[in-house]
Amino acid sequence: MNFLFYLFAATALAGGIGVVINRNPVSSAFAMIVSFLGLAALFIQLDAYLVGILQILVYAGAIMVLFLFIIMLLDVPSEERRRLTFGALAAAAAVAGGFLLLLGSVLRKHGAGRAILEPLDLPADAPSDVHRIGDLLFSTYWFPIQIVGVLLLVATVGVVVLSKRELR
Amino acid sequence: MPAYTLEIIVVCTGLAMLLIDAFAKLEDKRSIAWLGLLGIGAAFLLLFKVEPHTAGVEPESAFWIFYADDRWALFYKGLALLATFIVLLLSAEFEEVVRRHIARPGPDAHPQAGLGEFFALPVFCCAGLMWMASATHLVGIFVALETVTISFYIMVAYLRRNAGSLEAGVKYLILGALSTGFLVYGFAWLFGATGSMELKAIAAALRSDDVNTTAALFAFALILVALAFKVGAVPFQFWIPDVYQGAPTPITAFLSVGSKAAGFIVLLRVAQPFLESPAFAEKTALVFAIMAGATLVYGNLAALPQSNFKRLLAYSSIAHAGFLLMIVAAAPKSGAPDALSPAAAVAFYLAAYLAMTLLAFIVMTVVRTRQDSEEIAAYRGLGKTSPFLAFCLLIAMASLAGIPLTAGFFGKFFAFALAIRAELWTLVVLAAVGAGAGFYYYLRIVAEIYWRDPAHEDGSGFPIGTPLKIVAILLMLAIVAFGVFPGAVLGLLAAHS
Repeated sequence: MNFLFYLFAATALAGGIGVVINRNPVSSAFAMIVSFLGLAALFIQLDAYLVGILQILVYAGAIMVLFLFIIMLLDVPSEERRRLTFGALAAAAAVAGGFLLLLGSVLRKHGAGRAILEPLDLPADAPSDVHRIGDLLFSTYWFPIQIVGVLLLVATVGVVVLSKRELR
Repeated sequence: MPAYTLEIIVVCTGLAMLLIDAFAKLEDKRSIAWLGLLGIGAAFLLLFKVEPHTAGVEPESAFWIFYADDRWALFYKGLALLATFIVLLLSAEFEEVVRRHIARPGPDAHPQAGLGEFFALPVFCCAGLMWMASATHLVGIFVALETVTISFYIMVAYLRRNAGSLEAGVKYLILGALSTGFLVYGFAWLFGATGSMELKAIAAALRSDDVNTTAALFAFALILVALAFKVGAVPFQFWIPDVYQGAPTPITAFLSVGSKAAGFIVLLRVAQPFLESPAFAEKTALVFAIMAGATLVYGNLAALPQSNFKRLLAYSSIAHAGFLLMIVAAAPKSGAPDALSPAAAVAFYLAAYLAMTLLAFIVMTVVRTRQDSEEIAAYRGLGKTSPFLAFCLLIAMASLAGIPLTAGFFGKFFAFALAIRAELWTLVVLAAVGAGAGFYYYLRIVAEIYWRDPAHEDGSGFPIGTPLKIVAILLMLAIVAFGVFPGAVLGLLAAHS
């Protein structure tokens, strides 16, 4: 189990680094898919099956296709390699180092990695994640869902108004 | 009548406007705006008929976890409705400019193509503002806030053949999306630290001993970043001048009033549990004090050299956010409960700000429609050519500067009184410097309109439509009335309790 965690965490990180260092936007987008797959595997390891599947379906599926579509539609060129100056490198190193120090001190203070999460002890006939989330969305959370309806309407109107070639 | 009926009316008005625009053949699309005015006006009148929900009488629905109908909520709903009403009037006035900048006149196109949505979007935005005024649950706050923000993205970029408007839209979209990211992350941390997304339960958890202080403070910091974006507080104010300048003038008015009021009510609701908890009050108030000081200095000093009136008002809006934050910073130590509460001071300030800013924007919209310029130079000699508009601007500028006998004076007065009671001396000094600078840049406009000769030779004035004129007169009366009897607004707030 531990081995799998490190494997998928490394996959996610490698994908993330790939997004940043690739000069070609299409390769960056594909690296992002790798990163999302790693994340999804981590979620599944945490017994969050629905979140994991959504991560793949929505992010790696729908949103990435949208990204690729836009990149190819606009024909974004590869980024030019910039010459790094010493000042820029030093500033980047200082920011990254400072952030690492801060993160390290917070993790140490709160004893990250020492607590061991017990696997959830759910009864065998418990309803599935999807079932329960759907239940909550349309019972307790019905009011925010209604507002989201208005939000989506506004967004649709906006897309039409801003992007239609010729308004009538 | 329960309070949520108001939002239903507003949303139905918006839907009706969209449907009529789509299916009816209208000669003049401005009649859609009149329909919107009707709906918003009706909702405003019905606001006074609202019967507060009494807990425990009827079978409790999950709805009341998300929705408060206390006097604060009703007050801010009223502000949202008023602002939307005036913005719709301004949009109808602005019709010509919008038309010029969106349509490429085709053979079979309606000459006012795309205008119906321009009138419908503020109505949906108003519904979002009203939900925000009532939100008591982090999920509710988030979806209402996004409804407002997304409709603003569209409205800001609405003049799609105008580079300035598009640039403003892109800037607002990117920074707004970033701040939304911070907000969600902060909410997640707050949920993690307190185990609840209901503000009441969060307040209880923050007062107990077993809350993780670091996690809760981190959540507070992230949420503060996001809300500081919305209200335009330093250091998250960079978007304000460009976005305000590029957006269509009525939308800038809406942005400066609606977005700010909504930002502050959410800020108050989310910050209150922190400011009332003994473990957090001191730290959070200190953050607010630093932010208020920086905002006051930046907003007021950066406004000094501006030559564009709209940009000047953008910086002024940052400066006013500073005064409002000063009230929030003073909240935990503002002493006796019988005296003026910080929440009431914020509400009064926002009401006064609404009146004076909208008045200034009415004048700006009229001048922009006729003259196509927002430079201060375009207002030269306005006192001779259009005495009515010049007088409106005089009242608005006097109130924004905080001259006695105007509403703006009492807004600033309450802010100073609370800060002095909380003994925030550094902040008081910075605010005094800021208010002094404010006198200079607001009254400079007055000097330009009264003591300079008109820029254009023909000496013709700017005509103003009757409905807009009535609204301007009412706003001036309100500014003076609140400046003489500030108790009227404060009484309105107390009466519902």
